[in-house]
Formats: sequence, structure tokens, C-alpha cells
Amino acid sequence: MATFIDVNLVKYICGCGKKKPVCKLYLCRHCLKIRCGDCVLHEVDTPYCPNCLENMPAAEAKLKRNRCSNCFDCPNCGHTLTTRATSHAVSNPEDPNKSTPKKMFYMACGFCRWTTRDVGIADKPAASGNWEDKDNPHQKRILSLLETYQQIAQKEKAEKERKKYVRRRSYLTYAAGMDKYGMVSVAAKRKGLLASPSTGGSKDEDTVISPVEPSDTVTTFEPLQDEIFTQELHLENMAGMSQRHAPPEFQPCEMTDLHPLHKHLLIRRSLRCKQCEHNLSKPEFNPISIKFKIQLIAMSHIPEIRIFTSPELNFDKECKVILTVCNPTSYNTNINLTTLEGDTQDDFSNSKITLPKDTIVVSRRDDAALYDVGSQEQEAQKDDPSVIAFRKANKVGFYVKVKPQVKEGDIQVSFMMKHDYHNTAIALTSENQEPQVVWLEQKVFVNLGPLKTQK
Amino acid sequence: MELQDVFYNNAEYIETASGNKVSRQSVLCGSQNIVINGKTVIMTDCVIRGDLANVRIGRHCIVSRKAVIRPPFKKFSKGVAFFPIHIGDNVFIGEDSIVNAAQVGSFVHIGKNCVIGRRCVLKDCCAIADNTVLPPETVVPPFTVFSGSPGRFTSELPECTQDLMIDVTMSFYDHFKSIGGPKSKDRKR
Repeated sequence: MATFIDVNLVKYICGCGKKKPVCKLYLCRHCLKIRCGDCVLHEVDTPYCPNCLENMPAAEAKLKRNRCSNCFDCPNCGHTLTTRATSHAVSNPEDPNKSTPKKMFYMACGFCRWTTRDVGIADKPAASGNWEDKDNPHQKRILSLLETYQQIAQKEKAEKERKKYVRRRSYLTYAAGMDKYGMVSVAAKRKGLLASPSTGGSKDEDTVISPVEPSDTVTTFEPLQDEIFTQELHLENMAGMSQRHAPPEFQPCEMTDLHPLHKHLLIRRSLRCKQCEHNLSKPEFNPISIKFKIQLIAMSHIPEIRIFTSPELNFDKECKVILTVCNPTSYNTNINLTTLEGDTQDDFSNSKITLPKDTIVVSRRDDAALYDVGSQEQEAQKDDPSVIAFRKANKVGFYVKVKPQVKEGDIQVSFMMKHDYHNTAIALTSENQEPQVVWLEQKVFVNLGPLKTQK
Repeated sequence: MELQDVFYNNAEYIETASGNKVSRQSVLCGSQNIVINGKTVIMTDCVIRGDLANVRIGRHCIVSRKAVIRPPFKKFSKGVAFFPIHIGDNVFIGEDSIVNAAQVGSFVHIGKNCVIGRRCVLKDCCAIADNTVLPPETVVPPFTVFSGSPGRFTSELPECTQDLMIDVTMSFYDHFKSIGGPKSKDRKR
């Protein structure tokens, strides 16, 4: 797990040239290239609320400004507020001497004990609350700006379409470029209308865009009142920086102005290879599910190199280091290790490494063997004991010799790993066909840690 | 880095038929209400309060030293009621952590020195950073890391979290070996 073991000791190079741990990499089966989170296209699949885990379409989330309508955050500490019920005596209108108990609801924070009563928000008769939001003082201005820019965007779009209405856009640029002003739906409608291109865009030219009044420059401030220097400051009544900035439209200065905040939504995203536009990762629709419809993570396709034990390294002496290689695929994999050539050498490696010359065969992953304790169906491999330290299921430990050449800092080595890969993606199209075998090359960068300290 | 061997004294732990390794120095209250599904390690000085409500722990879990697993309660108008706690498979609970959750999914990593408040719901494939305080009734969605006090969403986990957690918890179990006893099976190397 990325939070428990240090995954950053062994890094692979991504197609974009960045070094990343193997758990953060993807293998595009169609271009057969390694991809990382920085060089793929992220697409929002489902926005969902992290508290009630309710998911909604992206359009609806946008309408709600990417916030949940039912869940609130505490404006004081940021934790989720919970609804509390109290009974409240309401005097009977017919008989003023009798009073009937009525359930009333308010919200409270389970962490800092802040309640909506603290700031004078009245209790609500319904559990769901229907808590009204404060009105944004700049609402009008924002709306008028939004409207103007939407008109401009529409006009620009119409002009563009008139010029070259036949040019087919790639899906990617369409989705990324068009959504700037919330235009996807508008553009889609327009596309439907423009069955015959000659009729399109003729009317929009004439629409005159009403200019927004430019915002005023603030030139003078009101001078501070004298009391500010003399009055005692009650820090406990002032809102902190993060409390102030949590609602950017109000920025309350005092604790009494705090108001419950709608909870921000999180998203599930799918990833797409930028080159071939195939999906690399596509989670299931439900945000609670941890299953994936498509998951091309490098962890399940590329042999993983790890350091077996923290090695004892001495300066300028050849030291034996055990690395392990784990085969995650269901085919036996051949692995060749070579040093990086002079031109591909980079500034990472600072020590000499001697690698095993022979091909290492790593047996396939067998999930059933994990539950079958007694089985010893290890395919017999004639191993050179000076190369292979041990074999265990789909894992092989092998020796490399490292000659540290720096006195201080971490010893870092790099090498090229060449392995065969059975590509099942293409074999699917025609049955009874052997999966295509390709050789892939991975540049591996290993941080072996500091030299052994001399005593 | 591969996990290193951790040795324990054979007399210190009880190994059950299903492969659970439970320390003799742990406190299991109301053991008839505790179900541990197999290959789970309960380390020294852990407390599991089965006397309050049922506790169910899945396979390949690790409950580190001094961790406390305690069913959560809820106050009602007539006293309090305790709820059962379910912990999924391949869950790692760090040292000194107190787990009061209603539900902990599978493939979850709870760091060291955490407090998981009453009736928290930790979904599958999430992580709680070290020294986090989750206030009562927090929900932690999949593939998120919560940290701080109060615990808040701070980062995301990679898509392969499930595989990583299986690998770590299983190899932790394999590397948790006894000394001074021939009982352990995998002492080949």
C-alpha cells in the first residue's frame, strides 16, 4: 500500500520521461507504452458527495456548484455537521394554557461542538432542514457577467462554424475545449439544428451583445475608525483565516457571521490515453464500488522490481544486493537486464551495477496456489545459485553487484529491464489465436539508501 | 522494499486452526462475540471489546500493538445501545490506534496513533494517515486518504490500492514468524 511501504525507492520511467513508482503507472495495451497520471487525460465520471455518497450527473453537480445540497460542513472546524432533534414546547393556539411538544431540528458539529444555534439560526421543523442559504451579495453582477460571456462564446462558436463547418473535431478537443463556459449542451443542440449547414449561424451574427458595465476601480478607502485602536480585541470572536476563506463570497470576519457550508463534492474519474484515446482506467459508476470496468495499471502487467533487504553498502567495494522481481501476469516471463547505454544514462545513477547476464525466467502468477499450501508444483528451473537467491511462487530474488562511487547520500543505480509481454488485448478479436508476444523495455531506477555507517 | 521478517516468541502467540495468530498478552473481552476469519494477526497489548457487541474481523488483517477495537454506541432517550463492528479483509490497523467505527471495509490502512470516532464508516480501499482523529460519524469514501484533526480528505489513493493491500497484509503474515518452535511451515529459507 502506498501509505505503508515506501514505494518511491524503485521507480520506472514513464512514456513522458517522468520517474514514478510502479503503482502510479498504467500500461496502455494499445500503444504498449507506460503512462502516468500526468500524461493521460482525466475525465470526470461521477461527482459524488463524500458524506452521503450520493452521486449525480456532472451537469447537475455543476448546477449545484459542485456541492452537496443535503450535507453541510462545520464553518468552525470543517467537520460534517449532524442533525440533532430536540422537543420544543409549542403553545396551543386554542388553549393558551396547554402546550404540545414539537420536534425541532438543528445542526451540530460532533468535533468542535459548534451548533447552528450559536449563530442564531432558528431550529427547523423538518429533519432535512431546508436550510436556506445566504444570498450572495454579488449574485447580480456574476449573473450579468456570465450571461455576457455566454453570448460571446456563442457568437465565437457561430463564427467558427461558419468558417469551417465540415472540419470534424476529435472527441478530446471537443470535450476539453467546449466546456469553458458551460457550452456543451448548447453546442450539442446547435449541432442538431444545423442539419443543413447553410442555415446555421446566420441569425446569431446580428445579436448585439450588451456590454457589461466595467467594474469600478477602488481608489480610496474609508479611514479606519478611532475605536479600532482603543477597543479591546476579542480574538475568540474573530474568525480565522481558513474559516474566512471557506465561503469566498461572504468572508465572514466574526464568529457570529459563520454559516453552515454545503459540502464539496469529490469525483470518480476515468483515465484515457492521450495518443490512442483508449481508456486506461474506468471505475464503476457507483462511487462506493472499488471495482473497475477497465483497469490497465502497470502493477498487473509489468514485472515489479523491489529491494529485498536494505543492503550493506561500502564505498568503492563491490557489494551484493538482492533484488526481487515479481511477475503479475498469467504467463511465464523472461527478463533480461542490461545496463543503460551511454546516451540514455542520466544523472540519477551514481554507482556501478553489475547485472546477471542470463535471462531470468519468472513463473506465472497462480492465484489458486495461494490457498493450496502443500503444493510444490514449482516448475523446476536450473538456476545458477550465484545469480538466483531464491524462488517463491511468482517471485524471484536475484543478486546484483553494486559498487558505490559516492561517499555521501543515497546510492542510486539504474538499469534496463527487457521482458516479454503477452498482449491479450489484440487476441480477443479473433478467438483461438495465441496472444501476441512483444518485448517491452523498462528503465528502472533504484534508490538503495545510504552507505553503511562506519563506526 | 520487501517486508522484513518479524519474529515473535512461540510461547507468546496462539495460532488457531484457521491461521489466526493471537497474542496471549492481548485482551479479548467477551471472546464468544468475537469472530476472526483467519490468517489475522492480533498483536501484544491489543484490546478487543467483544463484551459490548459483536466484533467481526475478516481475513488477513493485522491489528498492531496496543490497538483498541471497541464497538460504537449511540445515545438514545432510554440509555445507550452498542452496535456491532465489522472489519473487512486485508485491513491494517497501526499501533496505538483506537477504532470505534461501525464499519471498516476491506483493504483499509489505518495508521499509527489514530482515533476513529464512534460510528464512523470507512469504505473499502481507503487510508487514514498517522495521528488522525476522525470525529464521530465520519464517512471515508473509497480511494481517499483522510488526515489531520478533525480528519479531512487530503489525497487520493492509486487505483491499485486493492492489490497493494493484499500484497502487504499477506506478506506481513508470511514474514511474521515464530522463533523457538518448529510449528511454522515456511521455514525453508
